[in-house]
Amino acid sequence: MNPLQAAPGRTVGDKLLAGYSPPKGVYDELLDPAGRMRPQWSEFFQLLDALGRDELERRWQQSRRVIHENGLTYNVHGNPFGRDRRWELDPLPLVMRHDEWQGLSTGLAQRARLLNAILSDLYGPQHLLREGLLPPEIVFANPEFLRPCHGVRVPDDCHLHLYAAHLARSPEGSWWVVADRTQAAVGPGYAVENRIVISRMVPHIFHHCQVERLASFFMELRGRLGSLAARRKASPHVVLLSPGPSSPTYFEDAYLSRYLGYPLVEGEDLTVRDNRVFLKTLGGLVAVDALLRRVMDQDCDPLELNGHSAVGVPGLVHATRCGRVVVANSLGSGLVEAPGLMAFLPRICERLLGETLAIPSVRTWWCGGDDAREYVLDNLERLVVGPAIPHPHRKPVHAASLDSDQRARLAAEIIASPAHFVAQELVVRSTAPVWNEASIKPGHIALRAFLVAGEGGYHVMPGALAHVSSSPAALGESLFMGHGSKDVWVLAAGPVAPVSLLQPPGTPVEPRRSGNDLPSRVADNLFWLGRHIERAEGAARLLRSIVTRLTSEAAPGSLAELNVLYRALCGPLSAPAEDDAGPGTVATMELLLMEFLYDEHQPGSMQSILAALGRVAKVVRDRISLDTWRILKRIEDDYRPPFGRGAGAQSDILTMLNQTIYNISAFAGMATENMTRGPGWQFLELGRRIERALNMISLLRGTLSVATTGEHAVLDALLEIADSSMTYRNRYATNLQLAPLLDLLLTDETNPRAIAFQLAALAHHVERLPRTNGEPLLSDEQRLVLSVVSAVRLANVQQLAEPDQAGERPRLDALLDDAGIKLCELASAISHKYLVHAGPAHQLAEIARR
Amino acid sequence: MNTMARSRPPGGTPAARARFRIVHATRYLYSEAVPLCQNELHVRPRDTTRQTCLTHRLVIDPLPVKVEECRDYFGNHLQFFTIHDRHTELAVTAHTAVELRAAERLLPGSTTNWEDIASLERRALGDDLEVRQFVYDSPHITATPALVELARESFTPGRSWLEASLELTARIHRDFVYDATATSISTPLADVLAMRRGVCQDFAHLQIGCLRALGLPARYVSGYLLTTPPPGQPRLVGADASHAWVSAWCPEFGWVDFDPTNNIIPSLEHITLAWGRDYSDVCPIKGVFVGGGEHAMNVSVDVEPLIEN
Repeated sequence: MNPLQAAPGRTVGDKLLAGYSPPKGVYDELLDPAGRMRPQWSEFFQLLDALGRDELERRWQQSRRVIHENGLTYNVHGNPFGRDRRWELDPLPLVMRHDEWQGLSTGLAQRARLLNAILSDLYGPQHLLREGLLPPEIVFANPEFLRPCHGVRVPDDCHLHLYAAHLARSPEGSWWVVADRTQAAVGPGYAVENRIVISRMVPHIFHHCQVERLASFFMELRGRLGSLAARRKASPHVVLLSPGPSSPTYFEDAYLSRYLGYPLVEGEDLTVRDNRVFLKTLGGLVAVDALLRRVMDQDCDPLELNGHSAVGVPGLVHATRCGRVVVANSLGSGLVEAPGLMAFLPRICERLLGETLAIPSVRTWWCGGDDAREYVLDNLERLVVGPAIPHPHRKPVHAASLDSDQRARLAAEIIASPAHFVAQELVVRSTAPVWNEASIKPGHIALRAFLVAGEGGYHVMPGALAHVSSSPAALGESLFMGHGSKDVWVLAAGPVAPVSLLQPPGTPVEPRRSGNDLPSRVADNLFWLGRHIERAEGAARLLRSIVTRLTSEAAPGSLAELNVLYRALCGPLSAPAEDDAGPGTVATMELLLMEFLYDEHQPGSMQSILAALGRVAKVVRDRISLDTWRILKRIEDDYRPPFGRGAGAQSDILTMLNQTIYNISAFAGMATENMTRGPGWQFLELGRRIERALNMISLLRGTLSVATTGEHAVLDALLEIADSSMTYRNRYATNLQLAPLLDLLLTDETNPRAIAFQLAALAHHVERLPRTNGEPLLSDEQRLVLSVVSAVRLANVQQLAEPDQAGERPRLDALLDDAGIKLCELASAISHKYLVHAGPAHQLAEIARR
Repeated sequence: MNTMARSRPPGGTPAARARFRIVHATRYLYSEAVPLCQNELHVRPRDTTRQTCLTHRLVIDPLPVKVEECRDYFGNHLQFFTIHDRHTELAVTAHTAVELRAAERLLPGSTTNWEDIASLERRALGDDLEVRQFVYDSPHITATPALVELARESFTPGRSWLEASLELTARIHRDFVYDATATSISTPLADVLAMRRGVCQDFAHLQIGCLRALGLPARYVSGYLLTTPPPGQPRLVGADASHAWVSAWCPEFGWVDFDPTNNIIPSLEHITLAWGRDYSDVCPIKGVFVGGGEHAMNVSVDVEPLIEN
């Protein structure tokens, strides 16, 4: 069989397509009205048939695992701590004919030009308003009309760099635009990821079908943005501005940043000085020439726009006004997303471009016009009514889904403020084949096409993102509604040339070792990752020693060291146990233990530490390897409350704590063996060493400041917690005494658990922190480390071990206390000098009070 | 302020013009040092048909690298500056002198009826846009049925626009209590309406909301007010704050100011700084900073008649 020879009619794909029957009255992408397969699909289904149902299902399951492992997600509620949802994808692509796509592309490119021209006009001379081509409400009442951006000149008059059109195919087979996205077009990154998954799943089909590649789209984007920014400088610095991990599409932000090679930054990473935008890095401020923003218009500048925005850059509007930075898309470009605008596009297109609008919008009536309003009120039940300009509470509603009371209320609202409403025709979307539990069924689709401003005009991505749903109504405008997405294959007219975003092999590259251009925020996050991971290990080890003793053969009440360990757990500030003579009751101990294990609101509890660790892990995700990320995920996944209570539960807890400690060790191993010794690693290490030293300090103070009877049991526990029993026994056999133990855990620079070891490591790292050239004196950080290092080196463990007459060890306590204070000062000095993020910007404004 | 103390010369005809010196001082105080503070100011008076700014000088401590100036969307003077040095206190003082010319005396019945003005909306083209842009909702002001109801008590069918506007101004003055503790910047208009309390900013928003709810153009004016102490008491320097009132449009006279806080048509005591759709467009001083811990802002305004030698 020659797979390249298309068989006519419906014979192809018969095995897989048995039972595929599209609903009546809709356009089906696969079958024509006579039930014959449209020609663009025949090769695809021929090859798919040859693959077979079972093999396809097997490969599909494999691909789903890849999606999970790649962490392809979106955060459905935009909640920073919420769980990300897995990205849903359908294994069957939507196949589009080359000539059809060409026609669609020409029309969409015209629409992009048109919307860009409208932005130029409305943020400039406003002819459209003066000549009555657009009602003023659509602009002046629109919260997306950003007055501070009026009159700002953008390079080459290019407002829209990236634009997404949401499309639906009508039953007659023509495409309609149902929505325009002009602020930060979401989806091109997901489209690439879909393509990668599908093309890897069925590589031979993908190659035989001659599908257009997507990479050219991103090359256009990079080329154009680079050349606009390059007018200022030979090698411009372009960054991708993300709202951060709380954004629903953070995954795509990170993905695009890697794909385009633009550093991923957040508002806090940038600062405006002298009307220029700079990136705050460890090495100082680095000028930014252009930014591709994924932040909504109003949130971009808390000074001139929304004062409550925590993700913007204060002063950004003025920097664009001064022409010192290129922002893509230009600030205020969300204005042309207004559904009300659609009703006027045909006339505006004639006026601004002198052309007829090529792709119609879905039929739209702006209720501010008398005739339109009358029509809408007469035909309400057939229409979808929504806000004409963005409104915080109004969402589009299909009037047919309302009862008569609700419909009457809607009509009354329209009459009360007609200019605020538009009505649109309900789109009966086309259907396409969807893989559903190893069979193929029709699903309704929505198409999201992407355009980029390139040299010489707008280019359409040769491919798109499709969304599938079993009902046409569920396909709203959101990327996250519906049941999943689809890859879109545009068939090429001829052989497909390979395109890659990677530079051709001949391009000369200067070898370099990444230096100080790490954004301070990222260094800060790595610093805290280090601190939280050590904090988690310290807590896990202490808790494990307690649980071990509770589950031992001896009656817990008879174990004097338990009380001491609890004191160490609760910290020096906790109230002393009710009676100094004996331990608290076993019941209260168990209760306390559960709190320290699982109560997220108990400060210092394992659960709270892991929650903090999880949060910081998520924000450094694009800076650590996939393997390291998986380990961090396991630390969180493996930590679960036990089933049931009692001794069985305690042994479950023990197993789980052991697992947590292994997982943390795996992370430490990854950091040691796999991370480049750059500034990122350096800050991770600083965090880990500071925290491990502080941990040991607090453990020793909590257990040894006051001598207790039966202290050897405490010493034994300490060695166990510090993983140093073996070394001690090698050195001193079973002769358990405080002075040699102090040497091992405090002053021994060769024991990786000893305080002295951490201090030596800190001294090493602090020495290598970026410094202003030619600074002759010691920095504060160096001074602090040196003073602790020498105090510990000079310590006499015999003297420290000796209790005074009151049974206390004031010298030991004072030494540890002082070291603890200095290490905290060190952490804050490092923070201030290198990491300072005094947090998001606040706004103060004067109120007229008279 | 709910006194009606006016500064007219005793007896005789009202003065045709007046000059004032204004000191508008703002201090930001932080409990922790602020490494970076960026500011936007609307404190330089714009020139109007009745007002000329004679001198204007900004004194800022610590000293910014430079102060930049441009016009905003509404033609107001907008100034920017940034402090890069760590500081725990920032003082911004504007020293200004202006000359005012008295407002024309208007006869309440001398304007067209209000419905004619409201119906102009549909024909908003060309230069009318400058007026009609003030008819729509803005960040702090949304037209609601409650506002329509409030407005309709004065805007009865066929009534002269000016007569109705003056009555609305008087009713807000009469029915609402000046209470500096009742509201903040973020208090919604509906709450002001429910509490019947607020400050000048709230009353101005309220009156603008009423007018716009009927389709009448109205804008927010930010500025200062000359206040005179009760007889026998010394004038307190810096005891004042900035003021706000309303400007509304009619075809006969163009923009006419109304001060609902004091129930008057501003003439020789109101110094205009800037106008916009509402407070958010023309806030006198706005600062964005990072860090700072606890923070506070103190404002004092002192308006003094300028005695010419």
